[in-house]
Amino acid sequence: MSDQSGKHDERIHPAARPFLWLDAPWLKSSMLWILLVLALGFAAIDLFHHRHEYVSLAETTGFYALWGFGSFVLAVMVGWFVIRGLLGRSEDYWDGEGDQ
Amino acid sequence: MIEAFHDVSPAWPVIIGGLIAAAIPNHYVRKGLALIAPILAGLLWFNAPSGGHVGGIIELGGFVLETFRYDGLSRIWGLIFIIAAFINGLYGFHEKDRVADAAGLIYAGAGLGAVFSGDLLSLFFFWELTAISSVFLIWGSKTQAAFKAGLRYLAIHVLSGVMLLAGAVIHAADTGSWAFDDSLSIDTLGGLLIFLAFGIKCAFPFMHNWLQDAYPKATVTGAVVLSAFTTKLAVYALARGYAGTDVLIWIGAIMTAFPVFFAVVENDLRKVLSYSLNNQLGFMVVGVGVGTELAINGAAAHAFVHIIYKALLFMSMGAVLHRVGTVKASELGGLFKSMPVTAIFCIIGGAAISAFPLFSGFVAKAMTLAAVAHEHHWVVWLVLLFASAGVLEHSGIKIPYFAFFSHDRGHRVREAPANMLMAMGVAALLCLYLGWPDMFGIPGGYRALYNLTPYPEVANAYPMWTFDHVVGQMQLLMAALFAFAFLVRMKWYPDEKRSVNLDFDWVYRRAFDGLARWSYAMFSRLWAAIGNLLAGVRDRLGGRLFQTFSPMGALSRDIPSGLLAIWTSALLAIVLLIAYLAP
Repeated sequence: MSDQSGKHDERIHPAARPFLWLDAPWLKSSMLWILLVLALGFAAIDLFHHRHEYVSLAETTGFYALWGFGSFVLAVMVGWFVIRGLLGRSEDYWDGEGDQ
Repeated sequence: MIEAFHDVSPAWPVIIGGLIAAAIPNHYVRKGLALIAPILAGLLWFNAPSGGHVGGIIELGGFVLETFRYDGLSRIWGLIFIIAAFINGLYGFHEKDRVADAAGLIYAGAGLGAVFSGDLLSLFFFWELTAISSVFLIWGSKTQAAFKAGLRYLAIHVLSGVMLLAGAVIHAADTGSWAFDDSLSIDTLGGLLIFLAFGIKCAFPFMHNWLQDAYPKATVTGAVVLSAFTTKLAVYALARGYAGTDVLIWIGAIMTAFPVFFAVVENDLRKVLSYSLNNQLGFMVVGVGVGTELAINGAAAHAFVHIIYKALLFMSMGAVLHRVGTVKASELGGLFKSMPVTAIFCIIGGAAISAFPLFSGFVAKAMTLAAVAHEHHWVVWLVLLFASAGVLEHSGIKIPYFAFFSHDRGHRVREAPANMLMAMGVAALLCLYLGWPDMFGIPGGYRALYNLTPYPEVANAYPMWTFDHVVGQMQLLMAALFAFAFLVRMKWYPDEKRSVNLDFDWVYRRAFDGLARWSYAMFSRLWAAIGNLLAGVRDRLGGRLFQTFSPMGALSRDIPSGLLAIWTSALLAIVLLIAYLAP
C-alpha cells in the first residue's frame, strides 16, 4: 500500500517535505471556511468604504463578490451540463488519434 | 548607437541562426545559437533609433520592401518576441532535435520579421514563414495524431497567407499603396480579406480550432514556442491595421467567454491552456476594437505579459509531460511532492494570468477594462469580468490544482531538468517584476511595462494602484475561489475524466470529411456504373457485329441456292412494281 501522506516516502523531493501539510485532510476540509472568511472579508469592505468605479453598477455593495461567485458557478455549470453533456465523447472519438 | 546597424531588423540574426542550426549536427553549437541569436536581436532592438525609424529597404522586382519599421507599436512586440525566443532557447536546451532547433529559431525570427514589416508584401513573406516553420514543432512529436494535426494547421495557416496576399493585391490595386498601416478597412474587399486572414491567425470564433487541435499535440518545447508568436503576431497586425474597428469589440468579447466553458471540462491540461490562450486573446482583441490610446496600451501590455505567463504555464505543463509522460488531469495529482519548484512556478503563472494584484496580469488587464468602461461598453465590460473569473477557474485553479495537488496519484518523478527550471524562473521573475507597484518612492516594475507601451504618457497617467481597484479585484477573485471550494464540497464540480469534447472543428474533421468521403464513394460508384453500362453497350454491339460479320456470322453463312433464287425473285418483283407505279 502506497504511503499517500508521503512522510516516509524517500522519493519525496526534499524541498517539498516542509509543505506536506498542504495534502492534509484537515486543510482540505477547512479550505471552504477559510475562503469563505476571505471572500466575505473583502466583500465587507464595501460596507465601510464607497468604491468609485467607471461603471455605476459596479459601485453597488458586494457587486464584484456576487459577480465573481456567479460567474464561476455559471462557467462550471455550463461547462459540465452543456459542453460535456452535449458535446462530450469518448477519448478515442477521433479515430483513436487521441489528443496527445 | 551604432548607425551601421540601424537598418538591420532584429529578425535577421534569429532567422540566420535558424538556417545555420539546420546545417549544424553538433547539439551544443545549435543550443548556443538558440541563445545567442535572440541576444543579438536584442542588441539590434536596443540599437534602433529611439524616435522611430523605417529602414532595411529592399527593392525587388519594382517593389519596395520595408523590413525594419521601428515605432511605438512594433517596439513592444519586438522586445517581447526577443525575450520569448531567449526563454524558449533556454527551456529547450536539453532537447536534441536539429529540426526543432532550426524551426524554433526561424519561426521566432519570422514573427519578428512580420512585426517589423512596413509593407504588406514583407508581412506576407514573414507571415507564411511563421506557418511553414512552426509546423515542424507539431510534427516533432512524431505521432500520427500530431502529423494529422500539423497538416490541418498548415492548411489553415497557408490559407490565411493566401487570403492576406489576395487582400493585399486588391488593396494595392484600389489605393496604389502596399503600406501596412491604418489605411486598411473592412469596408473594402481587400481590407476584408486581410482582416479575415488576421482573424484566422488570431483564432477568432469558428476559426479558432487549429489552436486547440495543434498546440496540445506539439512537442514539450514546441508548445511553449508556439504559444508565444503566432496569435500575438495576429493581435499586433490587427492593432496596426484595424484599431478602432467596432466589430472587434464583440468578436473579442465572445473570444473571452466561450473558451471558458470548454476549458472547465477539458481533461488535457495543455488543451486547457490552449482554450485559456484563446480567452486571453479576446481581451487583447477587445482592446484593439476600442482603439483609444488607453485601450491600445492595454492590448499591447496584455500581449507582453501574456506571452510570459502563458509560456510559464506551458513550460510547467511541459515539465510535467516530460517527467510523467502525460498531462491528463485524470491521471495527475500530488506532483508538488516530486516537482515542488515547478509547482511554485506554475502557481505564479496561474496568479499572473488570473490578475491577482502584485502579478503582471493585474496591471495589464486593468487598462483594457478601464478603456472599455470609459467608452461605455458596459455589457462587454461585464462579459470581461465574467471571463476574468473564468480565467481564474481554468488557469489559476484547474491547472495547478489538478496537476500538483488534488488526489495524489503516486507519481514520484524527478524535478524538471535544470534548464527548464531556469527558463521557468526567468519567466516567473518577470511575472512578479512587471506587476510590482511603486513603493517607498521607488518606481515599480509595472512602470517599465507602461514605458514600453505605444503611448507611455497615457499609460503612466492611468491610476493603476488605487485602493478601490485592488479591493474590487480581490473581491472578484476571492469570491470565485470560494465558489470553487463550495462546488467541490457540494460535489457539484465535474470530475476529471478521460474524454474529448467536440468543438467547431467537428465541422471540417467529421462533417466535411464525411461529406468528402461520401462524395468520393458516390463518385466511385457512379463511375463504376457508367463503366458497366459502357461495357454492356460495347459487349452487345460487339456481339451483334460479331454475329453479322465474323467468319461465323450471318453474312458468312453458306446460303442454299434455292433460297437465294427466291429472295432475288422477290427483290426483282419489288423493283418492277416500283418502276411500273412510278410516274
